[in-house]
Amino acid sequence: MTTKIFAAEQSIERRRSPLTGFKCRACGVLQPADDRYVCAECFGPIEPAYDLASLDATALRFEIENGPRSLWRYAPLLPVAEPKSHYPVGWTPLLTAPRLGALLGVDRLYLKDDTHNPTLSFKDRPVAVALARALELGLDTIACASTGNLAGAVAAAAARNGLRAFVFVPENTEPGKIASAAAYGAHVVRVRGTYDQVNRLCGRLADEHGWGFVNFTLRPYYAEGSKTLLFECAEQLGWTLPHHVVVPVGSGALLTRTATAVSQLREVGLVNGEHCHIHAAQPAGCAPVSDAALDGWRDVRPVRTPDTIAKSLAIGSPSDGDRSVEVVRDSRGSAGSVSDAEIVAAVHDLATTEGVFVEPAGGVVVATARALAERGVFHTGETVVLYLTGNGYKQEPGAFDLRAVIAPDAEEFASTYAEVLR
Amino acid sequence: MSVIRVPAPLRATVGGRTTVPIEASDLRSLPAAIGATYPDLAARVVQDGAFGRFVSVFVDGEDARFLPPETSLVETKVVELLPAVSGG
Repeated sequence: MTTKIFAAEQSIERRRSPLTGFKCRACGVLQPADDRYVCAECFGPIEPAYDLASLDATALRFEIENGPRSLWRYAPLLPVAEPKSHYPVGWTPLLTAPRLGALLGVDRLYLKDDTHNPTLSFKDRPVAVALARALELGLDTIACASTGNLAGAVAAAAARNGLRAFVFVPENTEPGKIASAAAYGAHVVRVRGTYDQVNRLCGRLADEHGWGFVNFTLRPYYAEGSKTLLFECAEQLGWTLPHHVVVPVGSGALLTRTATAVSQLREVGLVNGEHCHIHAAQPAGCAPVSDAALDGWRDVRPVRTPDTIAKSLAIGSPSDGDRSVEVVRDSRGSAGSVSDAEIVAAVHDLATTEGVFVEPAGGVVVATARALAERGVFHTGETVVLYLTGNGYKQEPGAFDLRAVIAPDAEEFASTYAEVLR
Repeated sequence: MSVIRVPAPLRATVGGRTTVPIEASDLRSLPAAIGATYPDLAARVVQDGAFGRFVSVFVDGEDARFLPPETSLVETKVVELLPAVSGG
């Protein structure tokens, strides 16, 4: 049965992307969509620009609704065409949650259950889009800096496409996440230090190796995959925007691309003028975005040493942090900064009321929704969507071949991995 | 004297070099020193006398935002410039 599904997906005519180039978010200059990953003019972040005016809403809706049951149904709104072979990533359930809703005091509560992706987290989405670009470029190695979930997504995607993978994680990453990445055959590089220190190392390595670092050199493509959660929510709600969406924030890419998705759906006429409030959810032990929002929309202050059980959100220096604060403010949203105890209680409440077991990041979202409900942010009759982005099941690493932990140092990396770098 | 490690997207501003020397007494004076010595590089990473929000600066591996402005750069140190990109 699975074979037939894949065969059917592969027979679908590959659709062209309406990508017209990259636009710099800082200086606004439109530039070619080549292998650059920062603005050539000002070093600012670049994002895909599209010719959406050429899309007809009726035809687009038909095309999407008759597309594959994966994120590639939205290929007309993505920067790269659907690859010939891929996982069925995305098109995850949007569940009604009446029992949890009753507990939180929210009458129209929905769960976007992205734990159903192939490696049990939403990271399969951005990786799917980045991988499609890596295949276009003919790269033989993909890599990432990760708090855990991305490592597994990159490792699995590499395995499925016969690529080599290097995934770099902080040494305190949950064992289950290290295990899954190792199981797919990736070189799991455990680094002494925080995610931000791992990230610095990878920024350096991205310069020195011709690899596809999904969250560096492929980032303009990678980040676009995150739009598809909101696309799916709108379609599953009958092409209607939710009134509220509560988004976990690590780097801020998911939150900012949620706003991009709202804007694009409006621009192409797939949804009407409903307002969508975008709320940020962070753990108190690493809440640079939520703290900035709740403290009068000030600039983000980086957190030097995150301390939270929600390790997948432990990014102290979020690259899309300031933009996330702007998005929350402009959408007339709010934010939550919740304690580890509240996170644990929320994971339990979600599991016991709706049968959905999530990692602590999901608990952050549920606990934030509880706080927002108590503040009177949600009104009767409004739809509230919670993004649940990671599964709670990842297990112990067992006997996988893990190398020694290294310092965040390129030379030590090179010596420890000399034999596989040849 | 310290050394600036220049990321690939910015190397064209310093004649294609991977590293360039920089004379700056401390972290506070570093943006101005870059402006005086490498104006094309400064045009991309310095705004209003300070590093822009889209560049991450590290001194011997430490995020410069966590270091005091008087951090000395007289002894040989490595200043790393990287795009402010993350997402794990």
